[in-house]
Amino acid sequence: MENDKLTQLWNQNKTNSAIKAPEAIIKKANKQRYGQFIAITVMSLTVLILLIYSIYNINNRWNNFTFGLVLMISSLTFRVVLEFVSLYKKENKLISLDNISFKKYLKRHYKLRLTVNYLITPICYIIYIIGFTKLLPYFKKEFSEGFYIYILISGIVSLLVLAIIIVRDILIESNFLKQLKIE
Amino acid sequence: MNLQKEFTEIYNAYASKVFRLCLGYASGNEELAKEWQQETFIKVWQHRKSFKGKSSIGTWIYRIAVNICMADLRKAKLHTPISDKLVDATTTEPEFIKKEEQLEQMYRCINQLTQNNKTIILMQLEEIPQSVIAETVGLTHGTLRTRLNRIRQSLLKCITNGK
Repeated sequence: MENDKLTQLWNQNKTNSAIKAPEAIIKKANKQRYGQFIAITVMSLTVLILLIYSIYNINNRWNNFTFGLVLMISSLTFRVVLEFVSLYKKENKLISLDNISFKKYLKRHYKLRLTVNYLITPICYIIYIIGFTKLLPYFKKEFSEGFYIYILISGIVSLLVLAIIIVRDILIESNFLKQLKIE
Repeated sequence: MNLQKEFTEIYNAYASKVFRLCLGYASGNEELAKEWQQETFIKVWQHRKSFKGKSSIGTWIYRIAVNICMADLRKAKLHTPISDKLVDATTTEPEFIKKEEQLEQMYRCINQLTQNNKTIILMQLEEIPQSVIAETVGLTHGTLRTRLNRIRQSLLKCITNGK
């Protein structure tokens, strides 16, 4: 087979018959940007409210309930902000680096993600659980037994589901890093 | 409005090549290739202001496309199946089957290449100028030429020998 036969063979490949209209792409891109804007706004407002709440309560009525609440929200917020920063950095590199440099960046990025996955995420997870357990006595006191059991079971199930998602993502990312290292 | 017109022109000029480039990365999986193609142009639109013109617009778009294909985490857990509708359906039946087998084999061989070599050969097969390929991948023109010859030879050998 001659060299140009390779190109001929490749050209038998299907062309993109069902190509999307550029207007649809623009619409989708704008919608995505709007979604990101909303997410960042909600996150910023949460941090702001959390700060105001903590400052207000620290002198007036600081107890285990407020402490638990602050632990839960702050650990979650911290982890989400970290995720946003990581995604933002990755996207900036994706659009600006050549293929070889981007691959090197990806290796560094996923090595750092390992630290996040094996250290920071478990710490945030534990802090979140501690926060949740701090709230339980108050829930038990304030709500009916049935509702308390509902909160308890749904809380545990949510934490378990979250743990499964975290483990799954860790496995996918570790696998990807291994693949990058092989090549 | 001008921005939209400009984007439409860019899209019409590059969408097809980007799709086929992604198709190579996805081992013929059309759905995945379409997804990557769409993601590429979403990024092109969202980051249009950050394009400073240091390289050609084509280089910039191909870089984004290749980086998107490479960074997709699903590749790590999925072994992309070879599509059953690779060849343009205008060919006759026996010819269709033969061409399809050859293309399947070609995809298998391309899939065995390293990421960078895969990018190089896929871009070359799309007849993208070597200077653009070199800039997209991040190699000098000379290194690219040498490497390209080596990749073509090994690809030909793989397709001919069937492994």
